[in-house]
Amino acid sequence: MSNVEQETQTEERDPSDQLYEPWVFLKMLDELASSELGIGFVYAVLDVLVTRFGLDDATVVLVDEALGTQTFRHRRRQAELDLLPNGGLEPGVYTVPDIVPEIVRDAVRSVCQLSLSLHLARYMASHDALTNISNRRTFDSALHTAAVQSSRYGWAFTLVLADLNALKAINDTSGHAVGDDVLRMFGFALRRSVRTGDTAARIGGDEFAVILANAEGSEVESFLDRLRTLLVPSGIVIEFSVGTASAPRDSTDPAELYRIADARLYEKKGKIKR
Amino acid sequence: MMTPSEEDFELELRSLPGVLSVGVEHRDNGEVDGVTLFVRGQDPESVRHVALQVASLYYPTAAVTVEDANRAPATRGMPSERVALVRTDFNVHEGVSEVHLAMAGRVGVGRSGSGPLIGGAEATLNALRELGYEVPFFLVGVNNIATARGWPVIVTLRSLSDAGDRIGIAQSNGDLESAAKATLDALNRFLSSLSPAEG
Repeated sequence: MSNVEQETQTEERDPSDQLYEPWVFLKMLDELASSELGIGFVYAVLDVLVTRFGLDDATVVLVDEALGTQTFRHRRRQAELDLLPNGGLEPGVYTVPDIVPEIVRDAVRSVCQLSLSLHLARYMASHDALTNISNRRTFDSALHTAAVQSSRYGWAFTLVLADLNALKAINDTSGHAVGDDVLRMFGFALRRSVRTGDTAARIGGDEFAVILANAEGSEVESFLDRLRTLLVPSGIVIEFSVGTASAPRDSTDPAELYRIADARLYEKKGKIKR
Repeated sequence: MMTPSEEDFELELRSLPGVLSVGVEHRDNGEVDGVTLFVRGQDPESVRHVALQVASLYYPTAAVTVEDANRAPATRGMPSERVALVRTDFNVHEGVSEVHLAMAGRVGVGRSGSGPLIGGAEATLNALRELGYEVPFFLVGVNNIATARGWPVIVTLRSLSDAGDRIGIAQSNGDLESAAKATLDALNRFLSSLSPAEG
């Protein structure tokens, strides 16, 4: 390349393309403004780091109170730990080649740590920790939304309340660990039984709720058949009772729908006890 | 770009006991094709059983592989720290060649008043010295040669102690960058044998 060409190349260089420029902070602020913090953000930051420094690879090791040690590699398809020095898992940012200034590595690690923690906090705020299905807060919000849409547009949905019949007996006779397993299995079966767009939630100790979108009558029966089928291979007999209420037929008021479904549930439970 | 459900999928996998790392493979259409989990301190088969259940909720056709991090070959590890060429510049107004090298997060900048070809090699040696290396070599020659595929640069360095020569060759974006890379190529084994502190 001639001198003239090289001069041109130098003049056209992005002025922010300086090793010590705080580009990483600016980029992070851009990302923060345009996307939610989460695991995807961690990968996005690593991609920016790799692109900006022309790296072959980058990995960040984070430690979270709930998740323990977690490593994220910019090439997501590779989960290998071979980038880490001596296979160690010290928190930090590791790159090949090792040319990233410490101040940038510290910034990347901090923002990734924050991103992971916030994602986890967001997830835990909306999900039940034992079963990984939605929690009461998410359910209330989903029921309210569905009821409003039903009232406004006439969209149908069915609220299903389910109650495990013998959880207390299982806890008393087999221990709470087995009781927790039963709850996990039921929650897992619920997740697999619902369709995309439905909401499955644990709303109390052994109480579950499902919002079946655009479903009445036979669709509800199909859902319950799927649920019972999925519970069979669990190896533990899990009996449950259900009560349902459909909108807009029964009501479009969320509290009223809940009351109706609850009354029908306990009517069935009463019959079982008798 | 990850979808929200893919993010939650990965988070749920990472929350399984012992999981250290999750790798996700995608098909050409962006769908998740498979996941690889690295676990430590847990039975991989047990983790795989639960991970399959989780995967069935998000991506039922995705393959799930679990590897034991404890069984990773002991020889694995990050390649030893090496000197990397960060950037090169030639200031035509001042006639100065400039080479930026980095190692372990530190940057050494070397300059030379020679043109891009010789200046690239000289500036590289100066940058190495700024990084802390004592480089017991002097520059014997820098040449570019015509080949069918361009103009690679050959750098010859001579040892101050035994008069042995080291030769490096590289072809990159222009003479300056080629000369810098050829200089590093010539010193490749020398640099990998010692750290700046030892240099």
